[in-house]
Amino acid sequence: MIHVKNYEMVTPGELLSEDGKGLNGTYLEDNRVFSKFLGMVQTNEKGISVSPLSGVYRPREGDDVIGQIVEVSSKYWVVDIDAQYYTRLDVRDVNFRVDFDDLDKYIDRGDLIYARVFRVYANRAADVSMRGTKYFKLPSKMIAKVDPVKLPRLIGKDGAMINLIKQETHCEIILGQNGVIWVDGEETGKSAALAAIKLVEERYHEQDLVEKVKELFENVRRTI
Amino acid sequence: MEAETGIIENANGSARFKIGKTEAIAAVYGPSEVKPKHLEKVDRGIILCKYDMMPFSVPDRAKPGIDRRDMEIGEVITNALNRAVLLEEMPRSMIAVNVYVSQADAGTRCASLTAASMACADAGLPMRDLVASVAGGKIGDSICLDLTKEEEDFHEAAATDVPMGFLPSKNEIVLLQLDGKVTREDLRKIIEIGKMGAARIYELEKKALKRRFLNESKT
Repeated sequence: MIHVKNYEMVTPGELLSEDGKGLNGTYLEDNRVFSKFLGMVQTNEKGISVSPLSGVYRPREGDDVIGQIVEVSSKYWVVDIDAQYYTRLDVRDVNFRVDFDDLDKYIDRGDLIYARVFRVYANRAADVSMRGTKYFKLPSKMIAKVDPVKLPRLIGKDGAMINLIKQETHCEIILGQNGVIWVDGEETGKSAALAAIKLVEERYHEQDLVEKVKELFENVRRTI
Repeated sequence: MEAETGIIENANGSARFKIGKTEAIAAVYGPSEVKPKHLEKVDRGIILCKYDMMPFSVPDRAKPGIDRRDMEIGEVITNALNRAVLLEEMPRSMIAVNVYVSQADAGTRCASLTAASMACADAGLPMRDLVASVAGGKIGDSICLDLTKEEEDFHEAAATDVPMGFLPSKNEIVLLQLDGKVTREDLRKIIEIGKMGAARIYELEKKALKRRFLNESKT
């Protein structure tokens, strides 16, 4: 028997069902499925899962993230990707040629990079890699941060939301799956994009967000 | 009774819980790297809890800083949360729980534990259940819950104070202390009534946790 509806909000310890079909974010006790998180229920024929509504970013293999260099050693960079631990970018895992011992020549402390999580350890520590043409050092330092769980709303259906923001503001925007967002463009465009991101972050659970963001851009245009 | 979550921006999770004139504020940071390093456990995470009374929380000023009573309460809250939070899912990490009592009128450890468990859930930690905690006791011959300081001091010699913490949906007890004298039958009754009180607190906690995500834009 299932006790909850799809997309219902649940708290830890709430009884979800008694058929023993629990997926991510649930735990079993005597074939009864309980929620593990404060989160949103998703049900399908395979079972029930709960996705948390808050929390520190948990690296997963294959995530594309934006990180900031916090330390440069002779063989690797230490990168802060807003997770529990700093990650390491090894000198062998970059897509350009390097001479050893002078790594800050290429990427220095404070620089932002776009990279991929390619290894995750049991304690949620991770290593990142920049192999592949997709990854690079980000030139400017304009970033915003949102909760990683809110990212899907910022992307929208088939990228509807993020494409709208890009179009309206003429900004280049890169989303890291760790919730770090890099924005580059003209000053007014940048501030409009940041305002839109903030609006999505604050109202991410509401309906018709795309309409609301459009409205925001209309207001901005009128004031300019 | 009042409960509210998400009150501290800089914390990963936070909560405020008020019962009668007693009010506790809890903030949760983490999971993060373990500091000091020697406390690290390879198979599970740890909780470090700090409990403190604010200087203005009691009629005569409470000295700031952690005294022996604060250390004890920090310890019992940690023990209770250890049963509630699924620590084995976050090896080599630490969760810092800071609880401050802004108004004290007896039953502060219970209010603190309730607030701390709400803050943990708000921080997105995996948990078995929320903790609902309430203090029981006796005034004269009648058994009561959530006594005020005045009620607690009614019997000068034989005061009874029983702080209790429950995992309501699991029907488990995670905190049980006894101060004073009580017969075996009365203790049983106090626990039974405490369970009923905890069920009400549990409902309030659930409502408060959900409210933050449903009405965030209205506040």
